[in-house]
Amino acid sequence: MPELVVFAQASAISPAAQALVTGLSLGSIYALLAMGFVIIFKSTQVLNFAHGALATLGAFLVAVFATTWDIPGRWIPGLPEWASWALAALLALLVAGLIGVLLERVFIRPMVGEELFAVAIVTLGLDIVLRTILNDFIGVSARPLGDPWGTQLIDLGWVRIAYTEIVQFAVTITLVVAMAFFFRTRTGVAMRATAFDQEAARAQGIGVGRIFSLSWAIGAMFAGVAGVFLSIHPRGPAGVTQQTAFFAFAAFPAIVLGGLDSIVGAVVGGLIIGLAQAYSGLLPWEFLGSGFGGVVPYIVMLAVLFVRPHGLFGTEEIRRV
Amino acid sequence: MRGRPLLHTTYESDQALLNSGTKKLMMGLFLVLLAVIPFFAPGTIGQEGSLPGPDFLAAGDWLRLLSTVGIYAIGALGLNILTGLAGQVSLGHAFFMGLGAYTAAVLGAPEGPLWGLGLPMWVWLPGAGMVAALVGIAVAPTATRVRGLYLAIVTLGLVFIGEYLWRNLDFITGGSQSGRSHPEFALRLWKEETPLIDFSEDGSWFGVLNVSREAKTYFFILALTIAVVLLGKNLQRTRSGRAFMSIRDRDIAAEIMGVNEFKYKTMAFAISSFFAGVAGALLASLVGRTIPETWNLFLSVQFIAIVLIGGVGTVSGVILGTIFVILLPRIVKDFTEWVEGVVESGDGLLASVFDVFVSTGPGDFGLINTSAGVAPGLGIDQLNLVIYGLLIIGFLIFEPLGLYGIWLRIRNYWKGWPFTY
Amino acid sequence: MKRKARWLAIFLVIGLILAACSPSESTDTTEEPTATTEGATDTTEATTDTTEATTDTTEGEMMDIATDIGVDLDAGTITIGLLTDQTGAFSPLVTQINTGYEAYWANVNANGGIHGLEVVLDFADTAYNGEVHVQLFEELKDEVVAFGHSVGSPQTVAINPGLQEQGMLAIPLTWYSGWSDPAYNSQVVAHGTPYCIEAMNTIEFMVDDSGIDSPTIAIASIPGDYGLDASAGAKLAAEALGLEIVYDGAGAIIPGDPTSYIEVGNAIAEANPDIVYHTGIPWIGWPEVYTQAVITNGLEALWSGASPSWGPTYVAEDSGIRDEITRDFYWAAYYQPWAGDSEGAATVRDVMTAAGAPPSDFYGEGFIEGQLLFQALNIAYENGDMTQAGVLAAAKSIESVDYNGLAPSDSYVGEPNDIVQRVVHMMRPDPNSETGSKLAQADYTSPTAAAYVFESACFELAG
Repeated sequence: MPELVVFAQASAISPAAQALVTGLSLGSIYALLAMGFVIIFKSTQVLNFAHGALATLGAFLVAVFATTWDIPGRWIPGLPEWASWALAALLALLVAGLIGVLLERVFIRPMVGEELFAVAIVTLGLDIVLRTILNDFIGVSARPLGDPWGTQLIDLGWVRIAYTEIVQFAVTITLVVAMAFFFRTRTGVAMRATAFDQEAARAQGIGVGRIFSLSWAIGAMFAGVAGVFLSIHPRGPAGVTQQTAFFAFAAFPAIVLGGLDSIVGAVVGGLIIGLAQAYSGLLPWEFLGSGFGGVVPYIVMLAVLFVRPHGLFGTEEIRRV
Repeated sequence: MRGRPLLHTTYESDQALLNSGTKKLMMGLFLVLLAVIPFFAPGTIGQEGSLPGPDFLAAGDWLRLLSTVGIYAIGALGLNILTGLAGQVSLGHAFFMGLGAYTAAVLGAPEGPLWGLGLPMWVWLPGAGMVAALVGIAVAPTATRVRGLYLAIVTLGLVFIGEYLWRNLDFITGGSQSGRSHPEFALRLWKEETPLIDFSEDGSWFGVLNVSREAKTYFFILALTIAVVLLGKNLQRTRSGRAFMSIRDRDIAAEIMGVNEFKYKTMAFAISSFFAGVAGALLASLVGRTIPETWNLFLSVQFIAIVLIGGVGTVSGVILGTIFVILLPRIVKDFTEWVEGVVESGDGLLASVFDVFVSTGPGDFGLINTSAGVAPGLGIDQLNLVIYGLLIIGFLIFEPLGLYGIWLRIRNYWKGWPFTY
Repeated sequence: MKRKARWLAIFLVIGLILAACSPSESTDTTEEPTATTEGATDTTEATTDTTEATTDTTEGEMMDIATDIGVDLDAGTITIGLLTDQTGAFSPLVTQINTGYEAYWANVNANGGIHGLEVVLDFADTAYNGEVHVQLFEELKDEVVAFGHSVGSPQTVAINPGLQEQGMLAIPLTWYSGWSDPAYNSQVVAHGTPYCIEAMNTIEFMVDDSGIDSPTIAIASIPGDYGLDASAGAKLAAEALGLEIVYDGAGAIIPGDPTSYIEVGNAIAEANPDIVYHTGIPWIGWPEVYTQAVITNGLEALWSGASPSWGPTYVAEDSGIRDEITRDFYWAAYYQPWAGDSEGAATVRDVMTAAGAPPSDFYGEGFIEGQLLFQALNIAYENGDMTQAGVLAAAKSIESVDYNGLAPSDSYVGEPNDIVQRVVHMMRPDPNSETGSKLAQADYTSPTAAAYVFESACFELAG
């Protein structure tokens, strides 16, 4: 195979520019995870440790709907591939949202009024259960999602952007804008009122229970979207695996950085963490050793918390005796 | 005062560790039970195991498991001081355990390619605790600035930063997935060849008793655990213990009453880290060789689970919780093996009932899969994890006081018997 | 409380039913192999005919055999323990090896077992966790005659003191070069080509095959004995062949840390090597690093990695890196693939097909481990000593293992340099074959590997 040995010249990709793309790509995934997380935290006061499991759940359902079952594509002949995949993904994410509602109803609702810490530990238990059952379904190797974009990319010479990364940015921006509008709708206002004071909201005739369910549905769907992007090129070219859930842990610093209860903070925190991770790879210092990028989020988080104990955009806690 | 065990006429008797006759009796029986367990293991004492006993305690691996329980109990009692008494949620316990384990290795392991000073156990064991406590004090300023859930995430960060450190400090830890060996349990005066007591070899005590390695280790861990239990129990009765609880119950109120919040939170961190460090050193020595990945988030979660399942803030609850959590996988495994045996024998009503739940091969529907990961259903290890997660959830939803709460209800039922009030 | 309980119950029932319905990849692999191996009996005679001569032993001879643990002459069983990984980092690979291993012994049992004794397997899942590994060892050591495999080098080293005390045998399921080290090798019989020698073979083969003039090389791996032993071999090969190492990322890929995949992938591409030796885990990070370097950064280079780095999923139909991998990838296996031309490989095909298992290259390893222990148990029987120590001594006396061409013979008598395995089969991806692979060259030993004086481990596991 002589054609193999003709190698391209060193590409002229600018590392700094490429790190910007990678950082934004990582950051938008963190932002999606953090937004879902904050929506749940704001309206139900639950620190959701099972968020990584929810991300895996979403990605796994997409894999099943889009590749194994081919729903709804199998019923609509002649549908182009991308439309069939998008419909399957949408349907799968709706199912993920429904499961989120079910989880809230079964495991979280009985804990209303308990200490916040106790509820957080319930989600830790939930994480173990969900991940174990999901791992059994996923099986030992990766499950591809069969997305229509594959590994295609745009080569600008100095930087390369994958199609999937463009989709990722577009989806993230759309969802941020959609959330901004959502909070102006009647239901959105009800959710904000619930977040502000559950009892007062209830007195105003807001169905607080419904708001809880809704916030978990949205949270689970946002996590699912992040899970999908974690399971396609370039972050997870092989598909959804048993490891996908662990990625969500790196989103915790993003959330704390922005402030547990701020949507804007979640997006900003996510982007900061993503960019910090991407650019940390360019640091020339040998002594940092291997895997420094993995702890960058925590170091940034500790530094910010030391100055601002409630994060960049978090509400200062007002405490009375 | 006979016959009225709950009537205390002095403050001392009210505050006594065992303030009623029943408690004294039960504690005595429990200690006797703990002390005689090794005698039921064959090859422990005498040549063939001189005492007859129930067979399930006979194997040496059960004694080893009980030693593991003791070590986890030491760590869990440490977490209980921080989380149960002082009310500070920490997911960073695994980090302090790792710190203790590697301190012990540096101090106690023989010189070799990795750092090791070869010092005796009376140096490395307390040393492990001290170093962990010092680091606990060092992180306390950050930890006391943030509250509640923010603290949980900050301590979560500690575990990840710890894993990064252990991976890169390979001249101490042996490096990721390679690991290092840890000092053995042996009492030496200094660096002499033959130890006074070697807990890691079979041998004789006082020239008469033949004692197995497992039994020696067990007694050693048991003694340490009892010491830590006494420390933990006594701490609750001191000024500091009461200060911890006042911070837990209402930190602002405590501060107004003159409790120095920063000082006591730092102190709680230090004590908790000390016990974590000791437990880490012991666990590493018991396993013999650890890799940096040992000290991960799951270990921290396991300690949180022990404290929650046992009963937050109670010493006896934590002991119950440890026994429960550590023995659970073994019990589930033995139980599923028994079920599998019944199903395979294929006769009797029991077999057909179990067959519904167990799948032994492909195409056999069932919830639990007994055939090494190829049939439908959850494998034994997955089943273990699911039960474990559900227990954490279940206890928090139904019995926030944990096993200790269940015990209280049983006790109160019999106290009032035959009345229900 | 009632309401809580009801909701919880409903959820649990749904969850467990779902779990019960969960599909498993190899649903049809565990047809009780005993029942179906009849058809394969004739083809497997080759593997078992060593016993034929002695199968008809009399009861009187049986009585002379010394036993202690794990061999029950009255019940006619031999119990073998396996410290295996069914849920941990290497489970995708190890579960397939286990499937092969189960089928191997089912086949042996169907053909008379070990002189009429039936071999029973006790699988214990360590999840690749050292603490669990040691605890399970303690549980099994008083129940089994030997450990058929023990997954993971640090874990196997951790049980070494226990093995010594017990005086029993374990077959490590790792191709770590340190098993020849006297500190570790008293209780183990390793098999196959160590990662380090394998790297020398592969790199020299790639250089020759591609014909590149004085190529440059980049080395990257996960930490640990596996990644670092392979990287050490790659460095030795680069030194011997005069290749310039343009990037050294040995141990820089952290499984589960996505940023390390990106970093290493970028660094490899930036170094622009002709050859990349990249050792990792196919389902945790390997494709991510490859994608980052080759797709995102557009690197064109020949790629390889120690044999467990290869995953047939790379060339599966929906894989995004199918064409690139087919173009770039080389690896070495010390045993023949599914489609191998030897008698041994044919046996694997027949037995596994009869057991209803889908084609896979990895069953061969199970057969090799099985054959090694089979031979040790037979020698122990013939020596009249089937104690744990007897089986260990029998294994240590083996001068050649008859794998019927499935793999080169292993020997355990002699100096490390003389007995270390240096032969491999060079492999290339082939999307059109049943298992995604094809044999590029059988029984290959590169001059570098042949000349290498092997005295101790290429990568030392510290203290």
